[in-house]
Amino acid sequence: MTRDLQLLILALATFVVFVMGAAILGLGRGTGYVLHGWLIAAAAGWGLLKVIGHWSDPEPVVPFEYQDRVIKVGVLACFAWGVFGFTIGDVLAWQLAIPDLNGDMAGSNFGRIRPMHTTAVIFGFGGNALIATSFYVVQRTSRARLAGELLPWFVLGGYNLFVVLAVSGYPFGITQSKEYAEPEWYADLILLVTWVGYFTLYMRTLARRVEPHIYVANWYYLGFIVVIAMLHVVNNLAVPVSISVPKSYPIFAGVQDAMTQWWYGHNAVGFLLTAGFLGMMYYFLPKAAERPIYSYRMSILGFWGITFLYLWAGSHHLHYTALPDWVQYLGMTMSIILLVPSWGTVFNGLLTLNGAWDKVRTDPALRFMMVAILFYGLTTFEGSFMALRSVNTLSHYTDWTVGHVHAGALGWVAFMTFGSMYKMVPWVWKRDGIYSLRLEAWHFWLALSGTLIYVGAMWNSGITQSLMWQTYEPSGVFTYAFIDTVDAMIPYYWMRAIGGLLYLIGALIGAYNIAMTVRGARRPEDGTEAGPLAQPAE
Amino acid sequence: MRPEFDEISGKQTTGHEWNGIRELNTPMPKAFRLWLWASIAVAAFMWVLYPSFPLVTGALQGVLGYSARQNVLAAVADGIATREASFAALNEVPLDEFARDPSFRANHEEAFSVLFRDNCSACHGRDAGGQVGFPDLTDGHWLWSGTAEEIEYTLQVGINADHDETRFAQMPAFGRDEWLSQSELSDVAEYVLSLSGQDHDADAAQIGAVVFEDNCASCHNDAGVGGYENGAPSLADDAWIYGSSRAAIMYTLEHGRAGGMPAWSDRLTETEIKQITLYLLWQGQTDG
Repeated sequence: MTRDLQLLILALATFVVFVMGAAILGLGRGTGYVLHGWLIAAAAGWGLLKVIGHWSDPEPVVPFEYQDRVIKVGVLACFAWGVFGFTIGDVLAWQLAIPDLNGDMAGSNFGRIRPMHTTAVIFGFGGNALIATSFYVVQRTSRARLAGELLPWFVLGGYNLFVVLAVSGYPFGITQSKEYAEPEWYADLILLVTWVGYFTLYMRTLARRVEPHIYVANWYYLGFIVVIAMLHVVNNLAVPVSISVPKSYPIFAGVQDAMTQWWYGHNAVGFLLTAGFLGMMYYFLPKAAERPIYSYRMSILGFWGITFLYLWAGSHHLHYTALPDWVQYLGMTMSIILLVPSWGTVFNGLLTLNGAWDKVRTDPALRFMMVAILFYGLTTFEGSFMALRSVNTLSHYTDWTVGHVHAGALGWVAFMTFGSMYKMVPWVWKRDGIYSLRLEAWHFWLALSGTLIYVGAMWNSGITQSLMWQTYEPSGVFTYAFIDTVDAMIPYYWMRAIGGLLYLIGALIGAYNIAMTVRGARRPEDGTEAGPLAQPAE
Repeated sequence: MRPEFDEISGKQTTGHEWNGIRELNTPMPKAFRLWLWASIAVAAFMWVLYPSFPLVTGALQGVLGYSARQNVLAAVADGIATREASFAALNEVPLDEFARDPSFRANHEEAFSVLFRDNCSACHGRDAGGQVGFPDLTDGHWLWSGTAEEIEYTLQVGINADHDETRFAQMPAFGRDEWLSQSELSDVAEYVLSLSGQDHDADAAQIGAVVFEDNCASCHNDAGVGGYENGAPSLADDAWIYGSSRAAIMYTLEHGRAGGMPAWSDRLTETEIKQITLYLLWQGQTDG
């Protein structure tokens, strides 16, 4: 593709987004929606000017090195969203312990800030971590610079615009009320455009690789990119009411809508929070341990097993609902098989540490990764277990689900992110190492104790609550009123809030440590770092 | 590329290297292969037993003939039958007799309170003590009478509810709809304050008494003692639904009132309504 054609496509895409933003700010009603119009128009307009400016410049000489600046921005965005999202999360935890803390305002109500938390941590923190590390990994394992000079910036910028639109819309009540897919159509369209760019960039970078084979981490990242595109499009098929309001209606209704939503929801977990972070694991774990991957064959089994099976399993979120029995049983049985490739991956990760277990003791970053894999194993076992219909009667609609999600999110996703970031940040900023290993260790122990307190509290809370709901007197009446089961949760909600606070403090220490590393002195070039082998041709 | 040997594990690699990362060519452990096939076998076994793969129309139903819908319908019917059998006596003996039976109360009050907390406490409070806008059910003051039959009837049809036989009661917005002038409103408010022995302006109350006679007494009765036949509360006692202050009374006069309670006959069984009725009778006994 010629440079002109690339810039033309980029300019057209940006222009379409700009026109949409201008239309919203001109024709929209309601504060939040009009603000979003301004935001979109300003961001896209600025991007458009950049493309045009770039176009009129003479073709720049692309430096013969990896494109790392965009990764640096991604890392900073990841930590900014992380700290924001964890803070909101702990505020929510305290609101549940002390309901008056919602301030008695619509905008700070649990229902509105809860999606702020989930969006900020999943998409803001997790998504930026994935984009930043995927850019890092694909370049290193392909020995090629990213295939595009402006495109990576548009991917990162467009993605973060989407997250800002999502998070800032909720206090205004802008949501389509689909869990983890709350943003309305205009934000969804921006993510779609961005994601096409991300996919193109990733494929084209792989296409120009110098290595003969594509490293396994890239399969996982690519699995994440492809499946998220598919999920995002299908679950967000909706008809906007008009340009003047943010509201839209999904094209699916009733149980079809529920099934589509949980097909989406489960595979957002499977491909964003699992496959993407497995990609991270497959690069940063062997790099940090300086050991080969334990088994190439296990990584094949893991990849195809997870990719094939996850897509069937979403219906286990809808056991004992109006969903037909056959869909429920298919989801449940595929979830049983899914445990095998998941644990295969766990073993593959842990056994990779063979010969390097001493480093787990001395290197907190590697310890983060090792514990992340343990939590991954725990969570996938728990997930398959909860997918059994008989277990689900106990766990569904309880805090156990919340505990399960957080074992995965705090213990697996964020631990893997922190471990990888502690490695990658000194590498991309060319520092000797992390600012303080002591602080890194403090972060580890705070995060671990916070997670254990959180998850332990929610297991107790969930099972207590479920057993109370299911307790009958011999006469056939309930032993406990619903409000009695709410009372019983109070101590666990306090524990959860305290566990979350420890986790948040750890993350703040981590963010400080990363910031100080970034501000630290640059390591003198010694020529040992392997650079790209491919001369980028734009 | 030629496979190499990893020195530490002694195993062969795949021969590739990516930025220093290599992979061992370790075969998949036998236990894993067994486990994988065993899991598939378990799943396949369940596909035979239970509904599984979709067909062109419908789906494979499995040999057990399992249906979650039939199971839940049976379980619900079973639960209802158990409860009806347990409390069959409530439909045969007048509630008053149970209300005066201390041993019956001791045996059942806790269980019946669950029903109250699940259905009524959101408005009336967990202790049935009410809150602003929702009457206290323990103080012995009733809008539609506190006999067992009348409480049960109120529960069934509700107040201002969407039930054909619902109890209907509304106080007009005397101020907003300009039925009375502002000075008449404040006079009548002073009179109402005087009825319950609160601080009031005696002169204004005297004028207000006439206004009350002409406009309010048709529902609230002479001297504001209220009446069960139309659900108008007594204004002469210390039980207030919307507050007893001068400001609250003026607000009520200005805007009117029409409290609502749902009709429970569509949601609860007759026996359950009787259980709540008994529970309320007992709460009244405790306090007064």
